[in-house]
Amino acid sequence: MQPRKRIFFVCVVLMAISLTALNVADAGIVKDSLGRTVHLPPDPQRIVAFAPSITEIIFALEQQQRLKGVTIYSDYPEAAKSLPRVGSYVRLDLERIVALRPDLCIATKDGNPKALIERLESMDIPVFVTDPRNLESVMQTIGDLGAILHATDRANALVGNMRLRIQQIKSLIAESNDKPRVFFQIGITPIVSVGTDTFIHELIVYAGGINLGEGKASYPRFSREQVLGLKPDVFIISSMARGVAFDKVRKEWYRWPHLPAVRNNRIFLVDSDLFNRPTPRLVDSLETLAKLIHPEIFEEIR
Amino acid sequence: MIAEKTTILKRILTISIGMLLVLIAAAVLGISVGSAGGGFETVIRSIFGKTVVDSSLEDIIWRIRMPRVVLAALVGAALSSGGLVFQALLRNPLAEPYILGISGGAAIGAISGILIGLSQFPGVSVSSFIGSMMTLALLLMISSGRTILRKESLLLSGVMVNAFCSAVIMFLISMTQDARIHNIIFWLMGDLSLAGFKQVILLAAIVIPGIAVIFWLSHVMNLLLLGQETAKSLGVNLKVVTVILLGTTSLMVSATVSQCGLLGFVGLVIPHLLRFVVGPDHRVLVPACVLGGGAYMIVCDVLARTLPRQGEMPAGVITAIIGAPLFIFLLKKSVR
Repeated sequence: MQPRKRIFFVCVVLMAISLTALNVADAGIVKDSLGRTVHLPPDPQRIVAFAPSITEIIFALEQQQRLKGVTIYSDYPEAAKSLPRVGSYVRLDLERIVALRPDLCIATKDGNPKALIERLESMDIPVFVTDPRNLESVMQTIGDLGAILHATDRANALVGNMRLRIQQIKSLIAESNDKPRVFFQIGITPIVSVGTDTFIHELIVYAGGINLGEGKASYPRFSREQVLGLKPDVFIISSMARGVAFDKVRKEWYRWPHLPAVRNNRIFLVDSDLFNRPTPRLVDSLETLAKLIHPEIFEEIR
Repeated sequence: MIAEKTTILKRILTISIGMLLVLIAAAVLGISVGSAGGGFETVIRSIFGKTVVDSSLEDIIWRIRMPRVVLAALVGAALSSGGLVFQALLRNPLAEPYILGISGGAAIGAISGILIGLSQFPGVSVSSFIGSMMTLALLLMISSGRTILRKESLLLSGVMVNAFCSAVIMFLISMTQDARIHNIIFWLMGDLSLAGFKQVILLAAIVIPGIAVIFWLSHVMNLLLLGQETAKSLGVNLKVVTVILLGTTSLMVSATVSQCGLLGFVGLVIPHLLRFVVGPDHRVLVPACVLGGGAYMIVCDVLARTLPRQGEMPAGVITAIIGAPLFIFLLKKSVR
């Protein structure tokens, strides 16, 4: 894209965002991803984030001074590690949350127990539920949180940058007709991949690959036989247990030399935090993925 | 006759008051400990209406811990009186809803309900009740007729029904490929951490009338222990009593399972302990088990939330760790 065209594009995007983002400042009452009506405080000062991704977004919005509690695995950025913990995102500690006297909790629909959200509401603690299922809704979530935290400009800048980088990848990938078959493995025993309704699926598609796990189930399980039958060109393993476990899995797949991915030596490990968390860093993941799936395109550029 | 009646009434009252004090002590302990801190002093101050320094702590004590303690008391009361009924009815000291697979059946019903997408109430509660009744029917069918008198046959059937239920539960869990799986697993292990007043009211509406029915039939349970023939000759309609008691207990057990998951062995530990203390008379045992079971469950829940350094563990783990060795001990004793 030419520079002038690019600036124009960013402007259009920014305008579009400022129109779609929540208009919270004057309302105070919004609908969240569960379709519930949430009464937001006008200027939340004591926020508890119910997932590492939400913590990350709040830090990215530079509103961390409002953040009073996070979940166990909130480890990015470094400063998040020193905040009080309120349990893990699937098993939140109700008492600790209430003890922090939050004026707003920010939850994620996928993972946080609904019963806990209802319990907090019955105690008059507002909970805003996000549901980032794809890149578009991650950007929507960033915009929403930006509006709630009075950081609309910062949110627009973040989203604008994300859109720009996504567009760059897309236009680069468009040059290639080759669509490698990608098996994205998030679970080792059992073998678990990702279905169509996940942002990893979208990342694979944007990065110019075919997601072999696509289908209705969000996290489909596979037998070894099925995977061999799919003949993946590329294996991407995102494991929470890194290092040794990865070596073991790679060795396991190398036992099947007829697999295209093995023949071409294309089994890769990626940082699971980058791929599991719907945050601005997903664009980094997209770039990583594109380079792994289409190394030829990126080599030319270099 | 009248003199005997007043003595038994007196006995019921003294023991009930004694157990009530234990229950109250357990409840005070229950609302004093938790991850947000607190302690006895704060609770006592709060009970007597004095202002507590930290207002959010007062909220935690009364709106988080209190419903949890009440729920635990209801669950403990339901499960231990349920165990008592099974032991009397099947004339088997080792009978217990969890061991016999009744709880497992309720869990199958509840998980199926959750997976189909039914609402917590009445959907999941009803599917859970249907599950428990079906396993109960299966169990009675396997060990029906004269063999019901034989301890080993009944227990063995129970163990098999339970194993079958576990297999079905594992099948259902393995079929679940979304985020609900965590919630189901935690719930299955027996979890009281999200107790709210709504849950308490729902459970109370089933458990309190259930306990009343059991207490009303406690004299009949005494007669049953003398043997079916004797009971019949004393004018007990065996079939009606059996159906009422089994139906009531299954309803109570399935209600607790659908709310709090599998909490095993409670119906074994408490009746045995109390039989040892207050004797075999069910008119005394029923109220003692209701109050004592409540206290026991509260204490188990306290352990569940204080033992781990980080987070909580499921209360069902605690009840099983205490209960299973006792079961083995009792089994060994009864074989001898």
